[in-house]
Amino acid sequence: MAETMKQTVAGILKSIERYNPANLQTLERYVDMQSRDNIRLGGYLSVLKLYQFNPEKFNTENETISQIKYLADILEQCDFAQFWNRVHQMPELCNRISGFHDSIRKFVCHVVGITFQTIEKDNLANLLGGIDDVTLKHWVKKYGWRDDGNLIFIANQDENIKTKNITEKIEFDHLAPLMALL
Amino acid sequence: MYSSDDHNEAGYESYGDYEPHTGDPQYDLDHDRSYYKMPDLVKKFLVYFRNMINEGVTYEILNLYENTFPKLTEQYFENTPWPDENEVAPIVDNDHVFMILYTELYYRDIYARVPGGPKPEQRFQSFYNYCDLFNYILSAETPVPLELPDQWLWELIDEFVYQFQSFAQYRSRTSKLSQAEIDALNTENKAWNVLCILNVLHSLVDKSNIKRQLEVYASGGDPDSVAGEFGRHSLYKMLGYFSLVGLLRLHSLLGDYYQAIKVLENIELHKKSQYSHVPACQISTSYYVGFAYMMMRRYADAIRTLSSALLYMQRTKQLFSTRSYQNDQINKLTDQMYHLLAICLVLHPQCVDESIQQVLREKNYHEKMFKMQYGDLGEFESCFTFACPKFLCACPPPIEAGSNYARDAVKHQTQVFMDEVRQQKMLPTIRSYLKLYTTLPLVKLAAFMSAARGGERDAAREHAALAIHLLCFKHKMKNVVWSKGPSGLDGKFQSGSELDFYIDNDMIHIADTKVAHRYGDFFIRKILKFEELNRKLHHIKI
Repeated sequence: MAETMKQTVAGILKSIERYNPANLQTLERYVDMQSRDNIRLGGYLSVLKLYQFNPEKFNTENETISQIKYLADILEQCDFAQFWNRVHQMPELCNRISGFHDSIRKFVCHVVGITFQTIEKDNLANLLGGIDDVTLKHWVKKYGWRDDGNLIFIANQDENIKTKNITEKIEFDHLAPLMALL
Repeated sequence: MYSSDDHNEAGYESYGDYEPHTGDPQYDLDHDRSYYKMPDLVKKFLVYFRNMINEGVTYEILNLYENTFPKLTEQYFENTPWPDENEVAPIVDNDHVFMILYTELYYRDIYARVPGGPKPEQRFQSFYNYCDLFNYILSAETPVPLELPDQWLWELIDEFVYQFQSFAQYRSRTSKLSQAEIDALNTENKAWNVLCILNVLHSLVDKSNIKRQLEVYASGGDPDSVAGEFGRHSLYKMLGYFSLVGLLRLHSLLGDYYQAIKVLENIELHKKSQYSHVPACQISTSYYVGFAYMMMRRYADAIRTLSSALLYMQRTKQLFSTRSYQNDQINKLTDQMYHLLAICLVLHPQCVDESIQQVLREKNYHEKMFKMQYGDLGEFESCFTFACPKFLCACPPPIEAGSNYARDAVKHQTQVFMDEVRQQKMLPTIRSYLKLYTTLPLVKLAAFMSAARGGERDAAREHAALAIHLLCFKHKMKNVVWSKGPSGLDGKFQSGSELDFYIDNDMIHIADTKVAHRYGDFFIRKILKFEELNRKLHHIKI
């Protein structure tokens, strides 16, 4: 079932069919299925496209959209404390999408991973949404980080992030015309 | 032609010197026509033009299209349109294909030169003429025996998308429309529908197998081997290619940046290829790709795309100066691209080529960049609205008097962009402090930041706020950057900006990019200049 659906959708996405409103229902079902499974960009984008071309089919409560936009905004600003705070206040919205919390944690881990060499354990637990010790251990292990007592060692950043010096190199070709003048 | 409401300024002041006039240019035109006799030179030109097209002499067609046609326009039709199809058809033996091509030029000329733009009927007729043209090309069983210069094919597709854009804008300015115009628009609701435009462009892409051709070409194979009967034909191949660029533009106008970039898969923008010899097409492509990357927060890619196109234009300036109708558009587009580049470089400081840097230091760019660096949101917004494409509403509401939605699409995209700028608002301040140090304790930076803000000190809150900004800095400056592969959407996460840092518990370690002064380059240029001056002095005879 899921496999045929995937193939049908792949066919739709490749052709002019992606703009055909008759396919909206199929695509909506596909997206709904995925929100319980895992996420693929293509299907979502084509549903949005059909909403763009057929605004009358855009059946959603505006309240939810503005909540999602707010969440996206604070997430983009990396205000994770505020984000989790909000998420806990709207469980009915976020629990509907399986893996929502963990997907956000993956993003947090990505940002932590590029920012820190070492980070305080409590701080990290908070950024990940106030998780307990066992769960924290799981994430630390998943990303290959190291538990150093109070601190978590993330990675040797000094290997990658170092001052670059760009010096001038003069090519012989640039000097040649000068030689001719002398 | 590029989006332009500005290229109507000259010409067409009056429609002729015959009396009496009704005051309505359309009627006056018909009136004048009854007295009108087509000059012999124009007749000869039309016959010769048709013959050359039928014989497929592309270099001569190009000459007639690019040089003779504008020249005759200047000479005979400065204040009037070209003769319409009823007058031209008998002269060219009702040649079906020639008449479609001629009509396309006829309307294109009206779009470009009539003040206030074409009337609704003219817009519809132009649309149906495009339908005739594309039907002729697409519904043929075997490739049609037609060969046109690539420059023309590009302008055909570009004009088709432009006229769609022009129609959408015209329709949206409800408050400026007369009741007659509103009625005309409401009776005719099929023409210039976005799905039609998509359909035409996709059909041209499919018919030519251009995607498969590009794929094979990119991997070093012979595109002809997969082109098929139609795609081997230059007409189909190039129309297919230009349609991809048309789609890039169309998706951009609708704010779909992902799809815009995706459609160009297998086209390597900066590589010379057998498809890249129409400069106006290359420049247009770079503008839309650069813009789409910027909106997707892929600043390094946007900067690379824009600066390499601008460099190319600096070097080939003399190529464009000859044909004035292209020149104005290219100058405007260049200015827009410098604005986009300025925005990207403020958000994502990075080294660019010295000669580009030079232009940005001059003129008004410098002041604008300075203001943006200091967080002037108004400046960001005005640079953006100047440089952005003319966004369209994908599904316009029914036309009613008073329902003005003309600015909605632009407002929406501006909002999206400004939200991003607001999220990044603290980054320039942080960057300016970090630039002064190689290591800096978090506490100290927090104190700097709050001192700059003024007000009460609350160490814990300052610290928390700073931590958020620093994470945001790293997140916003780490972007997907394309390095190789067929899709411009692909890439790896990189921090391409010149300043970077990491946090080791409570200490910030800073890595900057230090660019040594280019003394050598400077002296070489000065020596050459001096030598030149010296040579000239020696030539002066007193």
